[in-house]
Order: sequence, then C-alpha cells, then structure tokens
Amino acid sequence: MDLSSRNILWRIVALIVGGIFIYAGVIKAMDPVAFANDIDNYKILPWPLAVRLAFYLPWLEMLCGLALLLRSFYRGGLFILTGLVSIFIVASVVARARGLDITCGCFGHASKNWNFSGHLALDLAIFAALIALWISSPRQQQEL
Amino acid sequence: MKASAVRQALLLIALAFVPAIGEAIYFRDKVSWQSPIPASELVTVDQARSWGDNVIWVDARADNEFERDHIPGAILLNEDRWNELLPHFLGQWSPERKIIVYCSAQSCNASREVAKRLRDEAQLKNVFVLDGGWEEWLKDKR
Amino acid sequence: MNTNFSRLIGILALAAQAQSARAELKWEQTSVDLRPGFNDKQAVAHFNYENVGNTPVHFKSVHASCGCTTAQTQNEQVAPGQKGEITATFNIGGRTGTQVKTVTVQTDDPERSSIVLTLKAVITPLLEFQPTLVYWQNGEEPKPKIITAKANKDAAIKKLDVSSSTPDFTAKVDPGSAPNEFRISVQPRDTTKAVYATLTIKPDSPANTGNMFSAAARVMPSAPASKSTLSTIRHDLATPAATAASPSQ
Repeated sequence: MDLSSRNILWRIVALIVGGIFIYAGVIKAMDPVAFANDIDNYKILPWPLAVRLAFYLPWLEMLCGLALLLRSFYRGGLFILTGLVSIFIVASVVARARGLDITCGCFGHASKNWNFSGHLALDLAIFAALIALWISSPRQQQEL
Repeated sequence: MKASAVRQALLLIALAFVPAIGEAIYFRDKVSWQSPIPASELVTVDQARSWGDNVIWVDARADNEFERDHIPGAILLNEDRWNELLPHFLGQWSPERKIIVYCSAQSCNASREVAKRLRDEAQLKNVFVLDGGWEEWLKDKR
Repeated sequence: MNTNFSRLIGILALAAQAQSARAELKWEQTSVDLRPGFNDKQAVAHFNYENVGNTPVHFKSVHASCGCTTAQTQNEQVAPGQKGEITATFNIGGRTGTQVKTVTVQTDDPERSSIVLTLKAVITPLLEFQPTLVYWQNGEEPKPKIITAKANKDAAIKKLDVSSSTPDFTAKVDPGSAPNEFRISVQPRDTTKAVYATLTIKPDSPANTGNMFSAAARVMPSAPASKSTLSTIRHDLATPAATAASPSQ
C-alpha cells in the first residue's frame, strides 16, 4: 500500500472513531442525570464527583471526536480519548470483579444483545484503533 | 503547528469546561448535586390509574383476604406461601410492565416486604407500593 | 360530729384500700429472640408473667400485629401471686431474614393497660437463590445464565437436583465459589419464542423434609414496536465513564 492510500485509510479510521465519540458524547449530554447514575453504578466515585463528571465528560468526548474529524488538535484529542478508554476498560473489569452486574456498561438498562465480554471486546478494539492512529499520525501537521 | 500532544490535550480539556458549565447552569435546578435521589417506591391510586394497562397488580395479603376480594387482575403473592406463589408471578411478569404491590392497612408492612424481595431476590425493576393500600383503592373504585 | 367523723374514717379507709389495691403484672421479658431451624415451620415465643400485685388482672385482649402470628394466653384472669404465660406462635411461611412481630396485650391494670410483646426471629432458609428469575429477550443469544444457590451451613447439603418443567431449558449444577454454594447454570434451547419454565430444585440433605424450592426461567415475548428499540439504542450508547460503544446493530 502506498503512502497516500495508507493516509486515506487512516483518515477513514479517524473519521469513524471520531464520529463514534461525537455521537456518544451527544447522547450523554442530552441526559446528564442518566449518565450520572451510570457512573455512580460503578461505585468507584462518590456521587457529587460523578454528577459533575457527567456534565463535563460528554463535551470532552465531543471536542476530541471533533479533533479527530477536523484534524485539528489531532494528537491532543487522541491522547485524551486513549486515556478515557483505558480508564473505562479498567473500571469495567474492576466492577465485574466486584460482582457488580454491569452488562453493556449499563447497570439496570435494557441490554438486549451486549454482554460484558462483547462490550469489552468492542472497547479494546476502539482502544487499538486509537493507538494505531496515534502511531501513524505525524508529529507535526505536515501535508494535507 | 508544533504544539505537542500534551499541550493540545490541555487546551481541549480547558475548552470542554465552557459548554459543560453552561449545561450545568441550565440543569442546575433539575439535578441533585449532593446525593443521588432514591426513587420513591410509593405510588398513589391516581398515578397507578394513569399508567393504564402497563401495570401488574400484586396482592401481598393473606389468602383469605385475597379470596374475599382483590383488585381485578391482581396476582396473589404473600410471604406465607412465597415459594409456591413466586414462580407463578414470575411467569406473568415482563420487563416493560410496572409492578404495584398492595396490602391492607392491617398488614401494611407486607407490601413493602414483598416489593423489597422482588427487587432483591428476583432483581426486578419498576417495583412500587400502593400508597394507602387496598382501602385507598376501595375508596376510589370505578 | 359523729357522722362527719365516720365519713372521714370512711374516706380514709377507702383511700387506704385504693392505695394497696395494686394490680401488677410482672413480665420476665417483653422481647424474645428466636432462631428457628431451617426445617421449622413455626417459631414459638413464651412470655412469662407473674401477678405480683394483690388484685387479679384480667386480660382484655391479646392481639398480634399480623395474620401470620397467633397469640394465646393460658388464663383470662390472673390471681395475685399466680404465674402464667402468653404464647406467641409465628408461622414462618416463606419468610426469611430478620422478622419482627408484636403482640399487643390489653389488661385492666390501670397503670399499664397496654403491653407490647416483641418476637424477633432470625430465619435462615434452607436454600436461597440469587436471582430467582433468569430471562432472555427474544432473539438474545441463548447463552447460559447463572443462579447462585446458598445453602444453610447447618444443613450439610452436598448436592442439588435441578429440573425444568419444560424441555425448553436445561439446567446444570456445579459447586460454587464458596462452601455451601452452588452455581446453577440455566440455558434455553433457543430464544425465538416466548417460553416459561419453573425450575424445581431439590436438595439432597438427609434432614430434608421433602422441601422443594423453585426458580423461574423465561424467554420473553418479542418486544413491541420500534419505539422501544430506539430507546434501547439510546441507553446502550450512554455508557458511563469514558468510552463510547458503537451503535448497536
């Protein structure tokens, strides 16, 4: 594969991943209370912190997703998203080990088809995509 | 643009605060900032009626009281015969429906106990207790 | 003068009598803790009393707080110096955990006309299940789901026998992660149509009086309309903390 095709490939991956985070951010921003409850269900953070995080995180996700799309603040966005996904994966595993029944990450929500391992696999895939994008991104914005 | 990843990240982090704070201000009265609000388990007869067909009624009273009279369509589930009656109830339940447990003023801890056991043992959601119990329903009949 | 004096004497005598005409029911204890065995169908509490006063005490009513408890008094009337007991019988039924039942006794004792006797029973059932219902949505992957069974350690249960009321579900029992724990693995044959089964669980314990326990397994009917599917997608995506799930299929 030559350089330009590879670039296009990475562009597409960045678009998909960025789009996912923007979509998810929007959904969570629409109902911050529900999101606060979801965070609380992991029983890691105290409620006051969970609720403030519930207001903040969706916007961070959206901005970082946008960064991937627009290739502006690109590596910064990748950096944050990778950090967020890692934290989430760890939190899910810890919650599972503690016996909290968090299917699809949504304790109590109707989780029709997603079980723990399916969801975890998906998050690991997103994590891998982020790492790949990071490795393949230029240190400076060079060409277009 | 030689901005390092960390610097970009910090900028994004700072930038995200703006809409976040805006949203927090917008929702400031609609959110419990200090403690999670536990969902109240009590419903009034009127609220129950507004839910229409989506309700499963559970009678937590003794067998003879149920036989004498009960809310139409209610399923008997009391602690005396819990092990016997529970599977029958579980066969009727479905996740979209709301469960309302009632008992009479005499035995009114029974409805809360049954509701609690349905939540804890069967892990059902949307379990409520009828405020005022059977007597309140009778008052409002028809 | 005479009449006044005798009237005075009369009043004093009456007063003196009223003073010493004390009824007093003394209770050995008004609160009893019980620990019924797992095979017990009832828990019985004895509330002993003695009339340490010098007039008889009459029980006006003995009334339990719920229909599951009956209370009986040996005597309606307790003479001075007489002892007796009120027996409270609590029918355990399917109850578990800490149960508190009260018996309210009304007497004609003006000092204490109403006494509340408390029966506290801590019930550990032979077997407890968590959860008591496992279910699959229509179309959900028919993977096994686990019911954890905890046995009363005094019962020394080694094995559980689980059978389903219909062949649409299979159940398998394995030892659990802790002693006296079992893992019941339930699996539907498929999740294409709504099915309901009662799972009957029989412990092998020799002390077992033929106790049978049940749990339920279901495949739910197919969900109505697209409205609920949309809200499900919305919920599926609102994952907590940091990440996003990709849109569900």
